[in-house]
Amino acid sequence: MRKIGVFICHCGINIAQNVDVDALTDYARTLPNVAVADHYKYMCSDNGARLIKDSIKKHSLDIVVIAACSPRMHETFFRDKLTEGGANPYRLEIVNIREQCSWVHQDRATATEKAKALVRSGVGKAQHDEPLTPSTIPVIPEALVIGAGIAGIQASLDLANDGFKVHLVDHDPSIGGHMAQLDKTFPTLDCAACILTPKMAEVANHKNIELLTYSHVQSVDGSIGNYTVKIQQKPRYVDTTKCTGCGDCAAACRLKNHVPSEFDQGMGNRSAVYMPFPQAVPLKYTIDPTKCLYLSRGKCGDEPLCKKACAQDAIQFDQKEEILERKVGAIIVATGYDLLDPTALYELGYDQHKDVITTLELERLISSSGPTKGEILRPSNQQKPKSATFILCVGSRDETQCTWCCRIGCMTALKQIYLLCEKLPDIEINLCYQDVRSYGKGYEEFYRKVRGQQTNLFRGRPSEVRQKTDHLTMDIYDTTTNKLYEIQSDLVVLVPAMVPRQDTTNTARLLRLTLSGDGFFLEAHPKLRPMDTFVAGVFIAGCCQGPKDIQDTVAQASGAASRAATILSKKELEIDPMIAMVDEDACTGCGICVDICPYDARTINEKNRIAEVNAALCTGCGGCVAACPSNASIHKNFTKKQLLNQIDDIM
Amino acid sequence: MTITDLTSMGEPQADARAEINDRLKRLQDHASDYCYQCAKCTSGCEAHKLLELEPHKIVALLKRGLITELVNSDVIWTCMTCMKCRERCPQQVAPVEILFAAKNLAVQSGKELPGKYTAMLQSILGTGLLQEVQAVATAANTTITRDQLSLPALSVPSDAAKFQASIMAIAMQKP
Amino acid sequence: MSLPMPSQRYALFPGCLMPTEQYAYELSLRASLPLLGIDLVDLPGLSCCGEPMKSVNQTLTLYLSARNLALAEQAHLPFYVPCPQCHLALHETNLILQKNPAMLERINEMLKAEGLHYTGTTTLVHTIDLLHDTIGLDTIKQHVKQPLTGMKLVVHYGCHAIRPKELGRPDDSENPQKIESILKTLGAEPITHYPQKLDCCGAPLLPNKPETALTKTGQKLQAIQDLGASGVVDVCPWCHKMLDSRQTKAGETVAAKLDLPIVYLTQLLGVALGVDKEKLGFSLNLSPVHKLGLRSPP
Repeated sequence: MRKIGVFICHCGINIAQNVDVDALTDYARTLPNVAVADHYKYMCSDNGARLIKDSIKKHSLDIVVIAACSPRMHETFFRDKLTEGGANPYRLEIVNIREQCSWVHQDRATATEKAKALVRSGVGKAQHDEPLTPSTIPVIPEALVIGAGIAGIQASLDLANDGFKVHLVDHDPSIGGHMAQLDKTFPTLDCAACILTPKMAEVANHKNIELLTYSHVQSVDGSIGNYTVKIQQKPRYVDTTKCTGCGDCAAACRLKNHVPSEFDQGMGNRSAVYMPFPQAVPLKYTIDPTKCLYLSRGKCGDEPLCKKACAQDAIQFDQKEEILERKVGAIIVATGYDLLDPTALYELGYDQHKDVITTLELERLISSSGPTKGEILRPSNQQKPKSATFILCVGSRDETQCTWCCRIGCMTALKQIYLLCEKLPDIEINLCYQDVRSYGKGYEEFYRKVRGQQTNLFRGRPSEVRQKTDHLTMDIYDTTTNKLYEIQSDLVVLVPAMVPRQDTTNTARLLRLTLSGDGFFLEAHPKLRPMDTFVAGVFIAGCCQGPKDIQDTVAQASGAASRAATILSKKELEIDPMIAMVDEDACTGCGICVDICPYDARTINEKNRIAEVNAALCTGCGGCVAACPSNASIHKNFTKKQLLNQIDDIM
Repeated sequence: MTITDLTSMGEPQADARAEINDRLKRLQDHASDYCYQCAKCTSGCEAHKLLELEPHKIVALLKRGLITELVNSDVIWTCMTCMKCRERCPQQVAPVEILFAAKNLAVQSGKELPGKYTAMLQSILGTGLLQEVQAVATAANTTITRDQLSLPALSVPSDAAKFQASIMAIAMQKP
Repeated sequence: MSLPMPSQRYALFPGCLMPTEQYAYELSLRASLPLLGIDLVDLPGLSCCGEPMKSVNQTLTLYLSARNLALAEQAHLPFYVPCPQCHLALHETNLILQKNPAMLERINEMLKAEGLHYTGTTTLVHTIDLLHDTIGLDTIKQHVKQPLTGMKLVVHYGCHAIRPKELGRPDDSENPQKIESILKTLGAEPITHYPQKLDCCGAPLLPNKPETALTKTGQKLQAIQDLGASGVVDVCPWCHKMLDSRQTKAGETVAAKLDLPIVYLTQLLGVALGVDKEKLGFSLNLSPVHKLGLRSPP
């Protein structure tokens, strides 16, 4: 004889305002097999929890029905209370009378009647809830981190120091990401390389970290605790066991100084065989197969000069790609960001005038290891600029481009203004802004410092940047003085929007991740679960989740590592038992469920021709249940009988 | 309303503002509310340097509901309809269309049309076109008119009376 | 070698300014386009498109445009609209009435008095897209008899042919290049970028601020002259009126000696296709077009 307890939550006034909870509780008492019905202001509170637990013990309840908010909110919490009270946690029905009832109806009488119907159907379904036991899967205590910028580096170090093996993959020949391209960081003006390279070195030398650079993740199979990952390691055409990073090959290369350097954002050149930057990790050379004459045309003069110059005989033109397979228990995606190509705002002249550059391009000029050794020189004539104008929000907060704020633009511009003033004390600096967002710790102080430095601040946006003889000119309306100004400037620096990396959709496809409207990876909850995704075992960190500065990136990376560690630190994981199962008598082995399953969770047993469910992969989506022509696919505690009863009860 | 503009002692006119916003939304699918006063429109306004038109200020006046001030001002007639403001606004506001609406309201409230607008309107009423066939100067310092060139006859409304009646009827209606 | 071309029929929408004053545009388009397979039909009953009246009463503009579109519908013809302001008016009217059933009903109710009905099926082209997209550069190239060799021309697109981009215009709003492509096909060497390329000629201010209009014209022409261009090509009767017919006055207004040849694209097209200069209205250009050294065929 089943004994059901029904608990109705007021949710403060969220439910109680529109639903008569007293009447609802009285009604619940009349339903079949209901031994006790009660109501309370906040079921999810300590008192509410105690009420449930005590009632279970007192009335020996088998099954609990809670009428409250969406199960997405507190299902796990309530299951725990059932366990604590001594009932099976899977004999719980949560009836949503908030989001689906009190929040969407105005009339109290109607809402209450609807709530009664919902509770009635919930109790009806609950009658047939079976006690279920979760199965377990073993957890592989290793992690995959995709992306080795500061986010990926931080997450890897945290996990490695926790004692887990980490496979850190990056598609560039060196780790470091965009942070390695920076000269200084705001607001402390720390040298970016000085704070980054020790971490990069730590990653390289850590016994728990396998560094796989110049590599792509090709495929990801499996599920939380047990992923199988295939990684394509591209050929460098350099034997890394022999290469000492001496640079003789690059110095000898026929294309020396002819290939635009990606690391220098095209402000400087490299050879076809190159090291992205002097502090690269690993400190190995790579040959660019699209530019190398030998690799792209089959012929490099009489002989490849790099091979001739290399004392270690490390050049290896016949090197092939390698496909590596790794098994991990959790994955962290830290693939970073790109900047919007300002050609999208054609009127600002980025495509037309050499002296219109982006903040990242300027950063390479400022950097002492950059193409101009830290000298600020105009790209058009290699002369020092007497004036520079910064334009904020190029493509940001723009309904026709990127609707979001890039978060780092204002501080980056302020930082660069400060550094330019340091390098060129007589330079005239103009800042065209709309708002200055200096929100973080120490940021406002930094903004004040720059204000005190006689920067010309214009509140407004210029409409066009034009070329006039040997300098640039723009008109800008300044809303602080209500006047139109003509600014003549040697250099114009655009602060572009931050956008997701181009390969984000591909990564999302590989891992079955969702993207938010702006194209960045979607977090499970913007406030409470910013590193989780909707795929169990996959976490996101850094700018790939949304624009942020380095300190927030590092915080999020450590957070993601902690989330991953929660999984990796367990020997085994419990699998939610409310998934599919096969009625072996009914199953004809037709295989439709195998084709239908989007998670590859179904197979047909070769020997007895009966379908099987891989509990680790099954997410309980119900597709196979709908598709099975023999009614052999059953969703535990969501059986057809239960659902049909629910429908009858509502009508 | 507890807001007063101390320069004009005017108060926000919510209804008039709503009417303009509704018209903008219906006809052009633009909304003035989203303007964040970046002034990119004014920075690029073709009429600003010579005639002091400030499109961002026009939008601000609309947002504040100071419609009378907007409609009575002379500056609204200085717009060159170059469309750069509408083209480049990052919030998809169209100051040029707000100006058209303000001008229409000015006419509706009985304000006299500036310059040659009345003459143009009369000409359309009378002939269907903005102006009559002109005798133009030639490079050789003579004058010539359409009939002297081998061009087909001018196309004009077939039934002048019916055309005129339709135009007059519109002039009576609200825009 | 001339390939036989399928004839494309368009009703001509002359607007107001071209047929009553800017005769050179009309002469040149009638003389040159048929050589590229365009068959122009003259519809009776047309009127002003209403765009200059938008400041007075936008409903009037919608009505005037709608009645013209309804006439084209009756004739089952697309419209070739040489004036960009007319093109914008007609095009925007199509878009507004498409999205606004209440306004559509109102307009159709009013059109009844003239025995007209608008359903919005009329397609539009302007000179730019007719030449560049519909006829195509290849076809034009095949018919060039007298290339405009060595002409370093500059293009004045005006405003309404290229903005606002969101409605769909004949060419791009920030980097329009279709006319330059056509000029290259005709053998010329246009200057593809110059700082003032997107500046307005000032014509819309003629009704109430004529001196400002002339100032805008003068400023742009002065800048183009300083570039060293051999001439300016335009595709709008209003722009041409300012740049060509009013060039002297514009020069006086900005205290500059302006001496730039201003030609309609269709005039140059005609020359390149081998049409006699007389037929292309060159006697009506008040700017020094003789400096371009254009020749009639022998």
